[in-house]
Amino acid sequence: MKTRAECVVIGGGVIGTAIAYYLARAGLTDCVVLESSYLASGATGRCGGGIRQQWSTEANTKLAIESVKAFRGLEEELERDIEFLQGGYLVLAYTDDDVEQFEKNVTLQRGLGLDVETLSPSEITSRVVPHLNTDGVRMATYCADDASANPFLTTQAYADAARRLGVEIELFTPVRRILTEGGRVTGVETSRGTISAPIVVNAAGSHSIPLARTAGVELPIAPYRREILVTEPLERFFHPMIISFSFGIYFRQVKHGAVIGGFGDPDEPPGFNETSSLGFLTTMSRKLAHLMPRLRSVKIVRQWAGLYDITPDAQPILGEVDEVGGFFQANGFSGHGFMIAPKVAMLVAQDVRGETPDLDIERLHPRRFAGGKITQDRSVV
Amino acid sequence: MRISEHPILDFDRGREIEFEFDGKRLVGFEGETIAAALHAAEVRVLRRSIKLDRPRGFFCAIGRCSSCLMTVDDVPNVMTCVTPLRAGMKVETQSGKGTIAPEGARLATGDAASEAIPSAVPLAIVGAGPAGLSAAIYAGRLGVESVVIDENDVPGGQLIKQTHMFFGSLDHYARVRGIDIGERLVQDLESCPARLLTGTTVLGLYDDGDAKALSLLKDGQHARLRARAVILATGASENVLAFENCDLPGVYGAGAVQTLMNVYGVAPGERVLMVGAGNIGLIVSYQLLQAGVRVEAVIDAMDEIGGYHVHAAKIRRMGVPILTSHTILRADGETRVESATIARVDERWAPVPGSERTLDVDTVCLAVGLTPNCELALMAGADGVYVAELGGHVARHDRDLETNVPGVFIAGDASGIEEASTAMLEGRLAGLAAAERLVPDADANALASLRQEAEDGLGELRAGPFGERPRFGKNRMFDLVNDTKDERRGS
Ligand SMILES: Cc1cc2nc3c(=O)[nH]c(=O)nc-3n(C[C@H](O)[C@H](O)[C@H](O)COP(=O)(O)OP(=O)(O)OC[C@H]3O[C@@H](n4cnc5c(N)ncnc54)[C@H](O)[C@@H]3O)c2cc1C
Ligand SMILES: Cc1cc2nc3c(=O)[nH]c(=O)nc-3n(C[C@H](O)[C@H](O)[C@H](O)COP(=O)(O)OP(=O)(O)OC[C@H]3O[C@@H](n4cnc5c(N)ncnc54)[C@H](O)[C@@H]3O)c2cc1C
Repeated sequence: MKTRAECVVIGGGVIGTAIAYYLARAGLTDCVVLESSYLASGATGRCGGGIRQQWSTEANTKLAIESVKAFRGLEEELERDIEFLQGGYLVLAYTDDDVEQFEKNVTLQRGLGLDVETLSPSEITSRVVPHLNTDGVRMATYCADDASANPFLTTQAYADAARRLGVEIELFTPVRRILTEGGRVTGVETSRGTISAPIVVNAAGSHSIPLARTAGVELPIAPYRREILVTEPLERFFHPMIISFSFGIYFRQVKHGAVIGGFGDPDEPPGFNETSSLGFLTTMSRKLAHLMPRLRSVKIVRQWAGLYDITPDAQPILGEVDEVGGFFQANGFSGHGFMIAPKVAMLVAQDVRGETPDLDIERLHPRRFAGGKITQDRSVV
Repeated sequence: MRISEHPILDFDRGREIEFEFDGKRLVGFEGETIAAALHAAEVRVLRRSIKLDRPRGFFCAIGRCSSCLMTVDDVPNVMTCVTPLRAGMKVETQSGKGTIAPEGARLATGDAASEAIPSAVPLAIVGAGPAGLSAAIYAGRLGVESVVIDENDVPGGQLIKQTHMFFGSLDHYARVRGIDIGERLVQDLESCPARLLTGTTVLGLYDDGDAKALSLLKDGQHARLRARAVILATGASENVLAFENCDLPGVYGAGAVQTLMNVYGVAPGERVLMVGAGNIGLIVSYQLLQAGVRVEAVIDAMDEIGGYHVHAAKIRRMGVPILTSHTILRADGETRVESATIARVDERWAPVPGSERTLDVDTVCLAVGLTPNCELALMAGADGVYVAELGGHVARHDRDLETNVPGVFIAGDASGIEEASTAMLEGRLAGLAAAERLVPDADANALASLRQEAEDGLGELRAGPFGERPRFGKNRMFDLVNDTKDERRGS
């Protein structure tokens, strides 16, 4: 392991590996990624892999559109199959509030060039998902360009591409402490020794919170358990990711044929709990069987949980903190970090190298929480 | 092919029933599995693999490996090696992943009016093999009520297929056949405050406040059982071996061969190559001979026979060559095993060029070890520890068989591969430890002496040369555990 590097990235999830790749692609190859376990062992490997552009704020929609552009070229650029599929996202509205909000969203999204449709319940079953039970569904928005990809393959592809450019990735090497001196970062202390570096990027998911604390930085992030399950594989019988904020669900069929999905329990207390619950299994099975009665006969083969790193405005925290020079944050993704990973990582890499990011990320800077007004996106599952 | 005459077993087959296989009418017997009925009707290919479209038959015959998935009554991915055959069933070879069943399609399972499952019990025991049954009996001696859950319709675990006189020196069980030991344990259970729940699979083990919740599947219905303590006695799964065409129908695990012939009275084939000369390989070879099947050879990569010499001598006398320092290179055949090629290996286990030999066999039986079924323990939060001598990954546990999750115990093959005699003693210990937890005012002297008896028995069984591996493995495990309880008891 190196003892000195130009840049240390903490975290071998999709964010950390992508940042390392874009840094190296731009010439900063003296970079080390430190991962406490194996690649994608955190939220990334536990996530649903959905890639959505239908958001309710302009900034998020733009970021998502740019990310889908990046995802589209990623397999060629990284020379790897990442199971990228533009199968669409079908967003179901059940309440008056949903309908009202979705209409606003569609206007905004179309204004930004996104191809979104609104569908009536009968159009949903005749055109998009034949087996769906639309009882109680008022309408839906559907963007056929929304997508999904395999988070393990994506992370591995970024990691391998970064390695080819000279980046070193150290697995099973937890960072214990961020080292600082005179208001600047000087490196990190790991389980295998110290690495000195003038730049440290904190991309450790929910574990970014205790890590930042070792440098005296308090991040306004809270970890929340989110559970998810997967069924046996079957020949493909639907394409889009199906979600609803008010019914509380998201699910899709992955390339391998399994149906994967979950929902966020609004009563879940914050904490680093990653165990599975029987309550989730039961409720999720009922939800699935309600929305798609044919799934009743399908066997669930596995369930697991991961952490959402949630910020007060459900937006990520990006940028160099004011308190400690050279200490960058790329965390707080609030449950949608996979879909925006390519673009966010490019922007963070530009920021780290002292360039002006080609999309405004100032609004995502940690200092936004210092008294300022917070705008929350309404489209978080 | 059905076995009609057997020196030990009487197959009282159920009613003859008709079913449909790929549009043809076949007959089988009530009480056997779909896979057993198909095998008896000479059907070997049950499915085609997802990616490479390779023919697949069953391998484990105990619902572990997923090699036998077929479409039954329009429901895809049915584990036919454990699904009972029913009259009129429509069974189809499955190609690829299977198609989602049409709305309303359901697999015909047990009777709708199945007995009620209790919602809470002090002690839940998963697995009705020798370990689980012993645990229930000994916890019962201290008055602890328990429910013993097993996915099979018949209790006894692996014992229900073991027709041989038992090895192991547990005085009152030596020279008794495995099948009879199982029956005795079930009888002993009758006088205990224990309930047997057969045909019920435990799908998951969860936290439930200050207790545990088990999710159960019985006759297609899900249920939830709350328990203050849980003993996992889930046994083990058979290992596979990687060689060319090792997925060809006709390559079976030794346990699968035993199940097929001793439980369902179906011969696995006519000419068998046995891979593995440990006790299981030797015993199953003998059982094959008893069932009238030829065993062409028993091979083992080790340079000496791993099992007891009495077993080896017995099959040698019957003309079966035991070839040590030999391995299987490949199986050949279009859709089922038609021959197998073996070779001698050097001291580094590399095949010696020029020593290849092709044997005319239709079955390759793998007796190459077992892996503990510790998934439920790991799900409950137990640490997985790799101890090669115990069969691979096992749940961390102390001398009381308690895992690092308080109230969750693990015993028998699930806690490390040994034998039925040790499984019974471990089951006893776990049952007693759980009882101590559940009955604070239990008679301490009685508990201590029962415990001592079980510990002495284990010590004795593990003292011999064949106990060396597990003894070493268990000691490594206990070294890993900071066994504070033990210190407490010792002081
Ligand atoms: C159930 C679930 C479903 C989700 N579904 C979606 C979805 O459909 N679409 C979407 O866009 N997003 C989804 N998300 C969110 C998404 O998974 C995350 O936002 C994203 O993966 C964040 O990536 P990351 O690299 O920041 O974090 P992580 O993947 O958590 O990576 C952080 C890494 O840092 C490592 N680490 C931690 N501490 C240390 C240390 N001290 N030293 C070294 N390394 C350390 C961890 O081991 C981990 O590998 C979902 C999340 C969950 C839990
Ligand atoms: C060919 C052969 C010969 C042998 N000969 C001897 C011998 O001579 N002497 C000797 O001492 N030992 C012998 N053994 C070993 C002995 O059979 C095993 O060590 C012993 O059966 C282990 O007992 P157990 O209770 O731990 O597990 P098992 O007997 O395997 O019982 C476990 C039970 O748990 C059930 N189960 C597992 N998971 C679940 C779940 N999730 N839900 C519900 N049920 C579940 C299983 O179906 C099974 O019925 C032999 C083994 C073999 C294969």
